[in-house]
Parts: sequence; structure tokens; C-alpha cells
Amino acid sequence: MLQFGFMFRKVLIANRGEIAVRVMRTLREMGIASVAVYSDADRTSKHVRMADEAEHVGPSLSSESYLRMDRILDAARKHGAEAIHPGYGFLSENADFAAACDEAGIAFIGPSAHSIRMMGSKTAARQTSIAAGVPVVPGTDHGVSLDQAREFASTNGYPILLKAVAGGGGKGMRRVDRDHDLESALRNASSEAERSFRNSEVYVEKLIEHPRHIEIQLMGDQHGTMIHLGERECSIQRRHQKVIEECPSPLVEQHLEMRHAMGQAAIRAARAAGYYNAGTVEFLVDQDRRFYFLEMNTRLQVEHPVTELVTGLDLVRLQIEIAAGGRLPLTQQQVSWRGSAIECRIYAEDPYNDFLPYPGKITRLSRPLGPGVRVDGCIYAGFAVPMEYDPLLAKLAVWAGTRADSTGRMIRALGEYDVGGIRTNIGFFRQILEDPEFRAGNLHTGFIEEFFERTQRPRPSDRLVAVAALAAAVHSQSRTTAAAQPDTPSSAWRQEGRNGLLR
Amino acid sequence: MKFELKIDGVDRPIELLRDGPHCRFRLGDAPERAAHVETPEPEMYSVLLDGLSYDTSVEETPACLVVVVDGHRFEIEVRDPRRWKRGGAAVGAEGLQTVLAPMPGKIVRVLIAPGDAVEAGRGLIVVEAMKMQNEMKATRAGRVLSVAVREGATVSAGEVLATIE
Repeated sequence: MLQFGFMFRKVLIANRGEIAVRVMRTLREMGIASVAVYSDADRTSKHVRMADEAEHVGPSLSSESYLRMDRILDAARKHGAEAIHPGYGFLSENADFAAACDEAGIAFIGPSAHSIRMMGSKTAARQTSIAAGVPVVPGTDHGVSLDQAREFASTNGYPILLKAVAGGGGKGMRRVDRDHDLESALRNASSEAERSFRNSEVYVEKLIEHPRHIEIQLMGDQHGTMIHLGERECSIQRRHQKVIEECPSPLVEQHLEMRHAMGQAAIRAARAAGYYNAGTVEFLVDQDRRFYFLEMNTRLQVEHPVTELVTGLDLVRLQIEIAAGGRLPLTQQQVSWRGSAIECRIYAEDPYNDFLPYPGKITRLSRPLGPGVRVDGCIYAGFAVPMEYDPLLAKLAVWAGTRADSTGRMIRALGEYDVGGIRTNIGFFRQILEDPEFRAGNLHTGFIEEFFERTQRPRPSDRLVAVAALAAAVHSQSRTTAAAQPDTPSSAWRQEGRNGLLR
Repeated sequence: MKFELKIDGVDRPIELLRDGPHCRFRLGDAPERAAHVETPEPEMYSVLLDGLSYDTSVEETPACLVVVVDGHRFEIEVRDPRRWKRGGAAVGAEGLQTVLAPMPGKIVRVLIAPGDAVEAGRGLIVVEAMKMQNEMKATRAGRVLSVAVREGATVSAGEVLATIE
């Protein structure tokens, strides 16, 4: 263990995108130098431009770059980084990587390799939780064959959920409602799991109808202290991926005893794995407010900003201090929750076309500002969103005194957010936040599907149509005028731009 | 100047009666209206209409103009007889199915070859972007006329991948 008062001078971030930028910001505030790594596709990405030092680690394909432990460790040695922050995704929940860092004498900013092994695989985590007396959803504790899946379904009944043993982020996950669909669903889930995690094993779980997804943020030091920082509700999901998260949960806020009960259960599960640093225990909550352990994420979560806004803590700073051997600077009793925070994940995707990803070049960017607004992003005007990686562009988070006020603030902030050149889900979020069911806090993980079934896209007013028509006509007229003078330099640029669009 | 607009599929002719920031226009048969239009930033139009202020973005895409006002996204085809002429409208001819890329991405699998008979729902081509795979399926039975892409190729949204007759 490191000495009291020790702090790193240089940290490498084994990640890209908004999370690399997020970690760098805290490093800079702490006076610690940052080292970025990048693939071919990311040379001009924000995290590289922002870092103090940068090292190329391979081609665009993540398996050849961001997932290459040897190259990441070489980069850390070359630049003299004393610690590595893995962010989320990529190598963040890879126990071998944590162990390799240890062997190389480089601090891994996260839990031990042992804890990741106990909690990283969903089935191992279930066993750990059952042993710690934490309730779990009925399911198989191992990868299954078709026959075993069928047997589970006949015992527990449909619907069931197929999940990748090594999974996360909804990849390799399938809902199955009837025996007829089981075989093909299992095959698809398994091949998606193989592609995403190089592990095709899939297990089965009983599906809880209309559950809420509520998770507990944990933080523990290497001296045996562990506290929880309350819950986040992440029930608004598409394709099993969270898109809106908030703290506090509107349900827990009305039943505060749940925070304590879930917090203590999460701590028990984590303790059973000898856990330290930041971690999140995810629970499903059924309609009778019973909660079930879902999985533990042994890393910083995407949605950590809402916890930061409500608790006033910097989770990345705590992670770094803990990895440097420091003690938690506060006790459970000193943790307090103030106001309400909401986060929207801004993706390059088309919500009205099955949320299909929509990479491309950002032509225009204007970000929301003003009271209570936080943007964790990695984009700029002129940035081409690579098609190789997750389409998360930015996280927009707001804080206000009450949930009603933070909802209003988020709608205001979304209205100020303008991203040109690609499609995003910004307009769609406004619709969700204006929805009476959302405002009433009636959330569940199938909310978005149901929302699409019961609502229609809002019809624009006649005046809005007139404004759009007028802008289009004025724009076309300026184009015609520009085309009439082909020798002006501006039209040459425009022509080039048009050619680019038509290629 | 007159423009034949098609806004989200609906014909909306518009006439600009006076240019410049203080412009006058007539949309369809509606009475003439006055508005004030400025371009403070590239692709942005600030429109003042009936005392209300609208910040409007106008973006050119291969198929149409994309106009966003107050969170509403309009797809507007502009037909000025002298410009913006769009050929290719014959693609939707009777009996011909055109398979278009739904998103920019990479072709990971081509499951058909010219001459293949396909049934409705049959998977044709798999496009991948940002780790999401999307299988393009035949909307009805037919015979593959052409396949315009190869595995590994990069495509943009709206690009023709294959045709089926």
C-alpha cells in the first residue's frame, strides 16, 4: 500500500471520448499530468487535444488499440505514468488488466483484480450476492445450452431474459416471450456476446415485468471503510441502455427507508468481494418495491455526474485519492443529498428510426449554458464522430432544488443544445421530459417503448411550419445568388461542401 | 421568387415577395406576411415573425434541407425550376424495391447475389455502425436485380445497397 499523503504526478487514461475528457478535468484540477492514448480514428478527438501527453496505441478497431493491454502498459511506462484510470467500458472491468497493472508497478484506479473477478462476471456476482444475503432475481448461475434454457423457462415461466455472462450495456441481451422464439434468440444473443466480449456464454433470468432500475453508488478505501452515496434511478432505457438518469430516484424520495436498505445491501455484496474504490450495485425494483441484485459494475459509471451534483462530491477525485492509498474523507453520516439532478445521454442516433446510430461530421455546435447546467462532452464543430465506437457524444446534466424544477431546467437546456450535421436524440428527450408520466415519476425500464405506443410525434404549429418554410426559401435564394457568381471563393467552398455531401 | 417546397411530404409552395432582412412572403394561399430574417451564424437563421423570435437551423443533405425550429425537425425538398432539380424520382417505380442504407456505416455481410430469388422478410445485407448491426430485409418477395456494395465497404445514409424486382 502507498504511503499516507502520497499523490500521483502523472496518470494515463486508458479510454477515449467523454469519459477520458471527464477524468482529465479532475486530474488537471489536482495538478496531475494526464496521458491520453488514441487509435487511428481518434487522432483529432477531444481527449487527445486536451491531454498533456498522448500516445498512439493502434488502428481504429478497439481490439487492436483500446483493448490492447500490452500497448496501453507500454504507453504508461514510456510516459512515466504512475497510475492508469480505465474509465468505463474497454479494459475497465478486465481483471487481467488490473493484475497486469499491479505487476507493472502501476496503480490501477479501481478495485483489485480479485474483486473484479468476483463481481465482474454476472454469474459470479450473483453467487457472491446470494452468499452475502442479498436478494437476486431467479436465474441460472452459469451459461446455458438450449435445453437448459428451455428447462429453466418451463420451471419459472415466460417471459425470460437471455444475458451474456461477460456482458454489459445491453449487448447480447434478449427478451424471450415464448418457446417458439427461444432457439433463434439464444443463437443471436450468443453471437452478439461473442462479438462484443469474446465470450459467447449466455445465461437465463426470470424477467420482472415493468421493473425500475435503481442503483447504489459505493465508494470504499483500501483501509476497510465503505460508504454508499445514495441511489440513481436509470429506468429510462432504450435497447437495455440507460439514456436518462436521475438522483434521487422519484420512488426512493417518497420511501426514504429504501435508500438505507438498498445502500446496506449493496455494501454487504461489495464487502463480500473485498471491494474498494468506486463501484455500483444495480438493482431491479418490482411494483411492490422489492429490490433484487442485478449486477455490480466495478468501475465508474457513465451516469456518475448526477450523484456528484446532488452530493457535492467529485467521484473521480475520490477514486484517485483512494488508489493513491488515501482514506475516505467523509463518513456515511456526512453524506448528504441536496436537490435533484437529471442527466440525458446525448447520442448520435435517430430516435425515430429505431435509435440507429448516426455517425458523421458535426457542422455546428452550440451548447447549453446558464444556471445549474453541466455538460460532459467530447465533441466540437468540425469533429467527425467515428463510426467505430459507442455513439455517446455528451452527457447533459442539470441540478435544481426539486425534481419539477430540474425537469424544467433540462427542457430549457435541451432547447439550447444545437448539434448540426448529424442526428441526435436531443429533440426526443424534450418529448420524454414533457410527458406527464415522466413528470409524475411513473418510471420503468419499458418506458420508452410504451411512450412510442401511446404518443405521437408532436405536430408543429402552423406558425412553426411558416418559419421553417421561410428559412428554407431564404436559404435556397441565397444559394441561387451564390451560384450565379461562380468565381467567388465562397462558392468554391460551398461547391466543395456540396460535393462532400454527395459523395 | 417562388419555391415549390415539399415539407415532410406535403406540398407547400412559398413566394418571397421581398428580399432582405425585412422580407414579405406568402405560404400557399395564406395572406401575405412580413418577417425579419437575419443570418447571424452559418446555417442559422434568426426569424422574427408576429413579434415572436425563432432561432432556425438549415442544413443541406443529399436528399433535402433539414430545418430545425424549436426542437421540431422538418425535411424540406425545394424545387426551384432553375435549381435543386432532383432526378432519380423514378427509383420508386412499380415493382422495384430499393434497399437503402438506413444509417452511415460499414457493410459487414452481403447475404444475396444478383439473380437470387428472395422471400419477404429474408435478410439481405447487414450494415454496422458503432457496434450496432442492422439487417436489411426484403419487404416482399422478388428477384435480386443488383447489389451495389461489397462486404467491408463504407456507405452513407440513404445510399442504394441493392435493388429487387
